[in-house]
Amino acid sequence: MSYDDVEIEDMEWNEELQAYTYPCPCGDLFQITKEDLRLGEEIARCPSCSLYITVIYNIEDFLDKKSNEKLEPSKQQPVAVA
Amino acid sequence: MEETEKAESSTNTKQEEEPQQVWSWGAGTDGQLGTTRLEDEHSPQLLKLSFLSPESVGRISMLACGGAHVLALTSGGKVFSWGRGSSGQLGHGQMVNYLYPKPVTFFDSYSIIHISAGWSHSGFVSDSGCLFTCGDGTFGQLGHGDYRSHCSPVKVSYFVNKNVEQIACGMRHSLVLLKDCLEDQVYGFGSGKRGQLGISKDRIRSVSLPQVTNGLEDVEIVGIYANGDCSAALSADGYLYTWGRGFNSTSDVHCPQYVPSSTSFCQAALGWSHALVLTGDGEVFMLGGSHHGTLSDLEKMSPARHLSANSSGVALEKVSGLDGVKVGQIAAGAEHSAVVTENGAIMTWGWGEHGQLGSGNTSDQTDPVAVNVGDEVQNKNTQLEVYCGSGFTYAISTTYLPSETC
Ligand SMILES: [Zn+2]
Repeated sequence: MSYDDVEIEDMEWNEELQAYTYPCPCGDLFQITKEDLRLGEEIARCPSCSLYITVIYNIEDFLDKKSNEKLEPSKQQPVAVA
Repeated sequence: MEETEKAESSTNTKQEEEPQQVWSWGAGTDGQLGTTRLEDEHSPQLLKLSFLSPESVGRISMLACGGAHVLALTSGGKVFSWGRGSSGQLGHGQMVNYLYPKPVTFFDSYSIIHISAGWSHSGFVSDSGCLFTCGDGTFGQLGHGDYRSHCSPVKVSYFVNKNVEQIACGMRHSLVLLKDCLEDQVYGFGSGKRGQLGISKDRIRSVSLPQVTNGLEDVEIVGIYANGDCSAALSADGYLYTWGRGFNSTSDVHCPQYVPSSTSFCQAALGWSHALVLTGDGEVFMLGGSHHGTLSDLEKMSPARHLSANSSGVALEKVSGLDGVKVGQIAAGAEHSAVVTENGAIMTWGWGEHGQLGSGNTSDQTDPVAVNVGDEVQNKNTQLEVYCGSGFTYAISTTYLPSETC
């Protein structure tokens, strides 16, 4: 069961992480990339803990942009993991 | 009688007293623990805080712990900050992390009396009743009428010539308690989507200028609280009011509602999905918190447990496992809780994945467990206090010299 359901409009695009993010109660950020969203993924995970949220979005909003977006790099970021 | 750690090896002169000791534990990867290491700690770490010499700035009178940063207010009205600074929330004029306490020099010519740390913004109240904010302003949570972020504190012009008493910073919103001869009001600004501003029955996305919170106009408020998307206030007659994100997956509350109770409360603390209240008799009650103690194992969560309790859908539950020991102070992190008992013990429970319970491991706890902060001798001149950030915890032990105790 996910920690929370969060609408995509309430997530913030993080240029550095190249991901949509939302605060995690551990202090880090739940993250999901545009590529994840295009693939229909609805779980945004936190790199520092076991929690995850369910992202509510319209997949069509992301499919349209596919042609002019390059693939996301790995979402591994220099965030120390406990 | 002074019983500090150094007592046996010293001649017990005043210079050798250690008036304050500070411990931290839990999530630490942004430097929020002040250990100068970027790692989690599962048990209390005694910090070496050189700025705490009585000759320089005095002792810490209050800590404010946010998403991953910490503000310390000293008895001399100065502010230190450390931890995550990527949104400017440390107020040092930069957007970088600091691993150890650094003075917020902006306040050199001010005397600060109240502070609050939100997810990624900070608020400061001066003795002249002015409010200053810095950090992430994306949702209007700095109250300056725009959506800009600031890495140095900026005076909130809306409250100029008004007397601000308290500031409470949540995830993306802020509350202000105003007290002066003309009005006595709670204001909200920032994100309002979950009702956390209490300014309208309609769904408000955000406001960047302070607006009066409805429904508290005739209530004397003595404390305001914000965490996550939740808001709360404590009235002088001991009622807890809550608004914002509903506890235990209940619907959002857009106007402050008081929590029905036969006893009155003297302290409150707010997490992301729970609240704690303390009665005058030293009993602790929890509101919401169905995740508490089971968050690491998400399958165990039971969000529908109290759905029929009352109009706001949640019931106050007495915190068991304290064995009748009275509690003197309470604190709440995002998903964990900490209290100090009257016999000087620190107890924690809730989510423990980052070691924020200080129990030496990462287990969740449904019932309070004791935290061992070392062999510090507790006596009547020593006062312990706990403070919780999102995923971390601080404890401060202050030893008052006999002449200071009344
Ligand atoms: Zn996390």
